[in-house]
Order: sequence, then structure tokens, then C-alpha cells
Amino acid sequence: MARSSPLRISTVGVRGIVGTALQASHALDFGAAFGTFLGEPGTVVTGRDPRASGIMLNEGVCASLLACGHNVIDLGVVSSPVIQHSIRRLGAAGGVSISASHNPAEWNAIKFFGANGTYLSSSEASELLDIYHLRKFTFRDWRGIGHLRSDPNAIDLYLDELARVFDLRSLSRFRVLVDATNGTSARLLEGMNKRFEMNFILINARTERRAFVHEPATNQAMVSLQLAPLVRHVKADAGFLFDIDSDRIAIATETGQAVSEEMVLPLLADYQLAQGPGKLVIANLSTTALLDEIASWHGGTVVRAPVGRQAAIDALATFRPEEVAVAGEGTGAVMMPQFRFVYDGIASMLAILTILRRRGIPLSKLIESYPRYRILKGEVPLASRRIPQMFLDLERRFEGGTRNTQDGLRIDWPGRWFHVRVSQTEPIVRVICEQKDEPPSALFEELMEIVRSYSL
Amino acid sequence: MSRVHQLKIGVSGIRGVVGEFLTPALAAAFAQAFATYVGPGRVVLGRDTRTTGEMLEHAVACGLLAAGCEVIKVGILPTPTIQVCVADTGARGGLAITASHNPPEYNALKLFNSEGLFFNHYERSELLDLYHQSQFRHASNAEIQGIRYDMDSPPRRHIERILKHVNVDRIRAQKFKVALDGVNGAGSRMSEMFLRSILGCELFAISIDPTQPFPREAEPRPEVLGDLAALVRENACAIGFAQDPDGDRLAVCDETGHVLDNDDVLALAVDGILGRTPGPVVVNLTTSSVVEDVAAAHRCATYRSAVGEANVVDRMRALGAVIGGEGSNGGIIFPPVQYCRDSYMGMALLLDRLAETGLRISQLAARLPRYWRAAGKKPFEHGRLGSTMQALQRSFPNAQPDRTDGLKLLFPDAWIHVRASNTEPLLRYAVEAKSEARLNELLQRVFEAL
Repeated sequence: MARSSPLRISTVGVRGIVGTALQASHALDFGAAFGTFLGEPGTVVTGRDPRASGIMLNEGVCASLLACGHNVIDLGVVSSPVIQHSIRRLGAAGGVSISASHNPAEWNAIKFFGANGTYLSSSEASELLDIYHLRKFTFRDWRGIGHLRSDPNAIDLYLDELARVFDLRSLSRFRVLVDATNGTSARLLEGMNKRFEMNFILINARTERRAFVHEPATNQAMVSLQLAPLVRHVKADAGFLFDIDSDRIAIATETGQAVSEEMVLPLLADYQLAQGPGKLVIANLSTTALLDEIASWHGGTVVRAPVGRQAAIDALATFRPEEVAVAGEGTGAVMMPQFRFVYDGIASMLAILTILRRRGIPLSKLIESYPRYRILKGEVPLASRRIPQMFLDLERRFEGGTRNTQDGLRIDWPGRWFHVRVSQTEPIVRVICEQKDEPPSALFEELMEIVRSYSL
Repeated sequence: MSRVHQLKIGVSGIRGVVGEFLTPALAAAFAQAFATYVGPGRVVLGRDTRTTGEMLEHAVACGLLAAGCEVIKVGILPTPTIQVCVADTGARGGLAITASHNPPEYNALKLFNSEGLFFNHYERSELLDLYHQSQFRHASNAEIQGIRYDMDSPPRRHIERILKHVNVDRIRAQKFKVALDGVNGAGSRMSEMFLRSILGCELFAISIDPTQPFPREAEPRPEVLGDLAALVRENACAIGFAQDPDGDRLAVCDETGHVLDNDDVLALAVDGILGRTPGPVVVNLTTSSVVEDVAAAHRCATYRSAVGEANVVDRMRALGAVIGGEGSNGGIIFPPVQYCRDSYMGMALLLDRLAETGLRISQLAARLPRYWRAAGKKPFEHGRLGSTMQALQRSFPNAQPDRTDGLKLLFPDAWIHVRASNTEPLLRYAVEAKSEARLNELLQRVFEAL
């Protein structure tokens, strides 16, 4: 049996349960590694979500960045998209986001952005990890140490950019219920209500340091439990559920239906492809085949990368930005070119509201207008050593179809596919299969049985 | 030649050249050990004006938070002010990020217990063990506290305590012309406010901008206080004060522009205090006998402790001393304000003394018994310390030896004190005699022995 990993150090950064796994020394050493990685002293932007541990980690990261000679602009509690926007606006060399996003409150994570607020490529990130592991940091002497300041205008300037991209006046007619999950989105949306007379009705808007009112997962189950029942009650046109650092969303319709988190990317792909026919949609191997159908309407193409942020970022980097319509995951995290390919939950929500305005139909009708795909997902505990054998077995048992082995095994047949892969974050094997119209129950059960037989 | 000590982690805490040697990770780990030792609760955190202070403040805050302490950031403040704040607010402990009188490339952590006192020897060695064993408390998200800022209350608390022990109206009525050299240190702004607004002095100040680097050597030795002396003479000041970067040490310049010997400054303070509150006096072994003479005139006993503020304070508490200090280091310790070296209490006390006696500071100093003093330092080779000490003792068979801290040799008319520095690989020597000829004779023999 693989051990569960309360601490995970990867190209995406470091993540773990604070105290037992993620500790002050990680903040200091990763801050120093990033400060060294950036090279010549410049400006670095930091921000964090409301978790209590964020203050501690931020102090450590800032100390090391200052010691490397960088000037730090500390934004305090803000969303990741605001950090990325500020990096670009200030011409900073990079940025750090301290947020465990959709993980429970006792977790935290330290993530890094390069110049322009972009995510680090795999080669950059692995260089950062090498510096971290070598612990050869470049600290400046007493004459070259940096200084820290805050930037109280960061949020307003970010909202200004949203107002430039979207016609907020026309979207203010929608009555929108938002569950902020005690995270960073509430303050931004309150700001939009005040400045642009938007009509966001916020619940769980208070930022919390210790515990969130519910698990900060942006998926269909959480929407049906927490948000969907309220949408009708407040007579809203739509409901959106945000994660803690506001980079992803999940949706509820005006009728109180929880929409699958898989639908966020197809909706935005349709919206973006309509404005740029023939462009590319970058998704991962576990995302819905509805994307391929939508792409075919607009003459677009779906490019599938292995699952995980780093793979999506690397895939995105291999194309010219103007070739790409949208990139994202089935988790509700989507990047659009208008936002220089930053995962941004608020931008995703505004784009969906823009679709509603253009189409002039309720959200439930919009969702129903798409072909229906049924997805089933399962997970089985992992026995690392038997994984290669399991994949060989799967390949032998299923015939035909289009095979993709970039990340586990995905086989596509017309109207039907499955994907079996090893999770990067938990010691489990994930099984996903999807079918047009009817749930692929028989296929799913068969797959689960095979995978389980390799589990112990 | 001995090595330059760029990093030292020991019972006196952690001190070093910031950057390559004293790293943020080291500072954070030490702070986490400290927080583990004092336990979860409030910890006061302040610093002096060194360029590395801001960075280290973040590192220390990280370590304190990681162990579950609430951090009260008090910003740039003198060390005694931070100590009073710790004692006054019921905090678990405090830290001052300051390398005191060391050059600007150095920084260090001064550690205080819940009474706002320097950690004593036992506390320090327990903390050091915790640090070396990496037995830190790691707080979870549910246990981690936050940072609060309190920039205003600490100076007020400190000054309130001082004003209970001097006659403010008497001082204000004199409208003293006072010169100040703040070395652009942690006390710069507070000293200006204290002397001008609280004590009603006409202030002529230099180097009171905490955003600027130290304009002179950080230790306020007479040789580096030429600007202060000139300021005193040009403006016909009654007295001039010079501080070190963290405001615990005080040097005094008389109205003629002559910088007084630190031992004499302590003697003047002792004289003033014993005049109204007789009681025991504690000074370190290297402090001049002038203090003993002054105390004897008040029929008070003087006790000696090993060199180091914590040692003097320990002895003062045990004996219920009414005043104490480290003469050569320019530190006056007055327990009713706080058991710490405090340049503010020193300034207030001397001004009060001027107002009380109506005498000039040079006149007060002239009344002190006259001693001739010399002090210096010399690098020593590892392993040679013991034999050097033994040779020294053998060459003075008639002297009465005191082995409390290094070797002190007592003569009826003089003494010699030789000890290894706590912070550097140096042998420090001091010689004092009642005549210049005797001083030179003893000094010559000490050089020969070393």
C-alpha cells in the first residue's frame, strides 16, 4: 500500500497539512529557492487566502524573498487571480500564492508565478525544486536586503480590468446567488456590487481563518447540498459556488439544479469558440467528450493533456496564444486568453452570465440545449507496484477504440470513453467513464472490478 | 590569528553577519525554539533600525507563529522599551532584533522572559538544547494565532515608568539645552519626543532619522562622539547624550564638550539614587571602583557580578539592589523602571540631578574620586587561555585573586581584570589604579604576561 502523503512537494509547489507536514521551514526554504531562482533583485508579489496558517507561511516566504534582495509587495488576503493580475500590472518578476484552494482548512500550499503572472513551466518549476533540494540560496548582504510594502489598490485595479473585458452594466440585470465558501471571492464581489451595481447575493461571505462552513470543493455534489436549494428561494437567475482562492467555480441553475462541474469548460469553450472559430480547446484526458462535439460545431480542435495543472500549463505553452480559445479542467477551473490564461473563477462566472445575456434564455434551458453526457467516477486504493500490470491487463481486455497512454489509459469509442489513471495527489487509482445519453454503468462496474483486483 | 566570528549560536543567543551566515531560516528556527520554550501566548517583537531588521522580523514572526504564539509587533523601538512592554502587558516573552553596538552587517536576537528580563544562564541553555534537538512545537491551523501591531503604547508605558522616579516639573522648569546623538538608531524618534516634549528641553539633535544608516561607529565610545561634543559647544548645551542603536547604552558629554568616562556616568547615577534610597549596589567586575567609593560615602555596599547584563541583573534581584550597571558598557540599571540597561532612565536621572543640585555636569563629575583606567582587547589562541591566566596570576603573587569571571587581581590601590569575551575570540583586559604611574606600571606587566 502506498502511504498517504500529508506533505507533497511537486512542480506546482508545496502542499500539506500545516504543523504535522507543512512547516515554517518549508516556507523559508521555498521562499529562498524562489528568490534565488528569480535571480537579480526585483519585485515579488505575495498574497494568501484566509487560513490562519497563511500568515505564518507568508512571513517566512517574505523573509526569504527580502533576504534574496527582492522587494516584496504583500497583498494580504486576496484571490490568486488578483495576485497574478498585480504581478503583470506592477511588472514584477514573479509572485507567490499561499492557498490550499479547494483543500480543507487544515491544509495549506505555497504556489509560484513567473513574470506576467504566468504559471511556471515544468522546466522552470523543476529548476526551482533543484535549488530547493540543494539549498544553495543567494542571500544578499546587509546593503542589498529588500523591503516590504502593501498595495491597497490591488483589488480595485483588478476589478477595473474585469470591467474592461466584460460589459458589466448589461450583466447587472442578473440576480446571482454566490456561495463564497468563506474564501477570497466575497470581498471582490462585494466590491463589484458597490462599484458596478452588480447584483450578487452572497452567502458564506465572511472570510474564516479556522474552518469553512462546508468543504471547499467545487463539484456537483457540493452544489446540490449547499447552493442549489437556495437559488429558487431567492429567485436568482443563477448560482455559483467558489473555492477558497477563487480560481474555480461550480454552477446551479435558476430552477435549483446542480450542474455538473464538467459543464463549466464546455460552456466557456462554446462561448470562446463562437468568437474565434477554428481555435484550440486545451483540456485533459479526464474531461468530457462533449468538448469534442462542441469543438466540431465551430471547426475547433480539442487537445488533451495529462491530468494536472502542470500538464495543462505545459500544453498551453506549446501553442501561440492566438491559436487557443480556452484551456481548462473538468474541475471548473478555466483559463481564457482575455485574462492571459489565468485560472479565474470570477471571469468564468462573468463569461457564463454573458452567454445568458446573448442567448436570452434561462440557465437551465442553456444547459439543456447541450447534448447530454453521463459521467461516472470512482476511485480504488493504490498498490503502486502492480500498476504497470494493471494497465497491460486493461489494454488487453478492451479492444478497438482510440487509445491514449499519456496519463494511464484512455480509450475512446464513438459516444463512449473511459480513463483509468493514478492520482497525483492521493494514493488512489481514478476510474472515469462517460457515455452519451445513458450512464455507462456496465462499463464502469467492469472497470472498477478489474482495478480493484489489483488493489491489494 | 583567530577566525572572524560571522555566526555564533550559543548561550547568548544567535548573532551573526546577515545573509550568508545569519539566514532567515536560522532566525525562524531559533524563534520557533524560543516560542516552544515560552509556550503559546503573546510574544512582543521589536527591532532596531538595521537594514536587515525588517527581513529578520518576518522570519522571527514566522517561527513564533509556527509554534502557536500570538505576535505583537511593536516596530522600531529601543530594547529597554520592548522589555518594559513585555513586563507591562503580561506577554509570555519578547524578542528584540538588534546587534546592539555591533557593526551594521551584524544582527542578533535578544531574548526576554515574561518579566521582560534577559534570559538567565539556565533559561538560555535550556532554550539552546531545545534548538539543537529541533524539538519545536508545530501549531496546526486551528492553533495558529495572528499578528497584532502596537506601535504607540510601548513608548508611553516606558516613559510613564520613568517619570515616577524623577521630578519632571523641576526638570522642565530648567528648560535645559540638551544635545543628542541618536546614531539613527531605534530610539531616535522616542528620544527626541522624550527630551523635547516630556522633559521640556531645548533640543539640538543629530542622527535621529531611523531610515538612515548609522553615521558613526555604533558603540558610543568617546573617540567617535566628536560631532556631539561640537554640538554641545556650539549651542552652549548643559549636557549631551549619545545612544547606541538599540538605546540601552548611554554616553554623556559635559557642557565643555568633554565625553565623560562611562564609569563616572554610572557613579553619578548611583550617587543620585543612593542619596534618596540607600541600598545595595551591583556592578560587574570590570566596573571602576569609583562606584564602590560613591556607595561607601552613602554607607551602602557594592557587590560584583560576572560581566554581562543578565549576570548583573541576577545578582541585583538576589540582593535587592536599588541600582546597578555595567560601567564600562555605559549601562544604568534601575529596577523600579525595569531590570535592564536603560539610556532613558539615565538621561532623566542626570537631568534631574542637574536640576536638583544646580551644579553643572562637569562639576558633579569633578567631585568623584579620581582613578586612572585603561582597557583593551587582544586575540588569543585556542588552548592558550588557561596558561595565560595562570602566568598572569603567578606574576602577581601578592594580589588577591577573584576567579568569578576570568581573573581579577585586587591590590590595595589598584586592580587588574582579564577575561575571555562572551561574543568574540578575544581576551579583554582592564586595569585601574589610583595614580597614573601605578596604572602604567601594572599595564606594562600585564602586556608582558599576555
